[in-house]
Amino acid sequence: MTAIREAFVLPCLFLTVALLGGLRLSADVRLVPPPLVALVLAVLLVGALFRASAFSPERLVSQNRRPLENASGAAVLLSVFAASAQVFNLLTPDTGLLHVLVSVFFLVQFLTTLTAVRDRVAMLRTLAVLFGCAFFLRFVALESLYAPGRGVIKRVMTALMEGVTLGTLDYVPTGAATGYVAFLTLTLYLVGLVLLPTSRTGAASIALVTVREPPQAEELDRDLPTLRRE
Amino acid sequence: MRDTAVRAAGLAGTLLYGAAIVWMYAAQPQTVAEVTGGLTSTVGAYRIDQQAFDDGLAFFGRDQFVEARAAFSRADPAGRDARTQFYIAYAFYRQGWGRVYNDDALFKSGLEAVDRAIALAPGHRLVVDDPGLDMHSADELRAELQRGLTRDVSDLNPMRLLRKRR
Repeated sequence: MTAIREAFVLPCLFLTVALLGGLRLSADVRLVPPPLVALVLAVLLVGALFRASAFSPERLVSQNRRPLENASGAAVLLSVFAASAQVFNLLTPDTGLLHVLVSVFFLVQFLTTLTAVRDRVAMLRTLAVLFGCAFFLRFVALESLYAPGRGVIKRVMTALMEGVTLGTLDYVPTGAATGYVAFLTLTLYLVGLVLLPTSRTGAASIALVTVREPPQAEELDRDLPTLRRE
Repeated sequence: MRDTAVRAAGLAGTLLYGAAIVWMYAAQPQTVAEVTGGLTSTVGAYRIDQQAFDDGLAFFGRDQFVEARAAFSRADPAGRDARTQFYIAYAFYRQGWGRVYNDDALFKSGLEAVDRAIALAPGHRLVVDDPGLDMHSADELRAELQRGLTRDVSDLNPMRLLRKRR
């Protein structure tokens, strides 16, 4: 990983995610700090990324690196954590029963991922699908359902849902502009995850597997007498 | 050497960007002017629009308080100058003051403005040396605004009709 990527690109990407993750553009502009559950989920996510070799902290902070390199790496680690917390803050409804349900869903999902997924590519795909679904649920489905000036059928549906859940299923729409910002934020976060440094051994073995071509028939014929002697 | 310089510059930039984000989440700015004003005031580079401030003072002296507040707000769009916020609060006070009763909404806005002024002043102490004012310190103005918002028996005292606006 180049010094520019570590010192500029990754912190800039993740801090931008941390900034935009709490941005709500409705009638007024609000910056919502992450709730406690988002911090817990961020710890799980960073742990899952580490277990799946999606990034290796020892390439950012280790005793083999100079103090300035370690400080730069620590800044990247902190920005990854802050961005992860803000991504959960972004995708989880701010209050009510939906906040609890989505938080619990994320918690169970990441506990499962933490124990099951061991491959970097699979991990990144899992995250893309999971965050994509959560984005769709919040910024497409719920926003459309609870948007101001909605039709009679939507109002009846939301009234029924709120009645069945004794009023606990409440959602405050955040405005269309927030959805666009959320899409950009998620994209930046996923790009940042792809750019994170992975372990050297893992990368080298992948490179060997992908670069090495299958042996040709002439090579096999040439090596056959040697193999027979052995 | 180049690597070290890149890392040092990146680290400094990251710390500045992170501090700006923390400040924004704490201050909750509503406009771009508030963001830029807040960030420049933290490094001591914030300046009010002196022409607009002088206009505000002229309006204030002629008891045109709505116009005065508009000019003061233009002078200090980020709300980061204690003296301007003090005058905004004073304009709310003078407009809201009544011999029989005060305008609570204006007094509340005045109290918010004077609280901002006190929070911005160095050491939370603000004294404005203006002969046209009867109250020179933010603490006096704050107490007067709070008195105006308080309901008690003294409100029924007929002598209140003889008091004068400060």
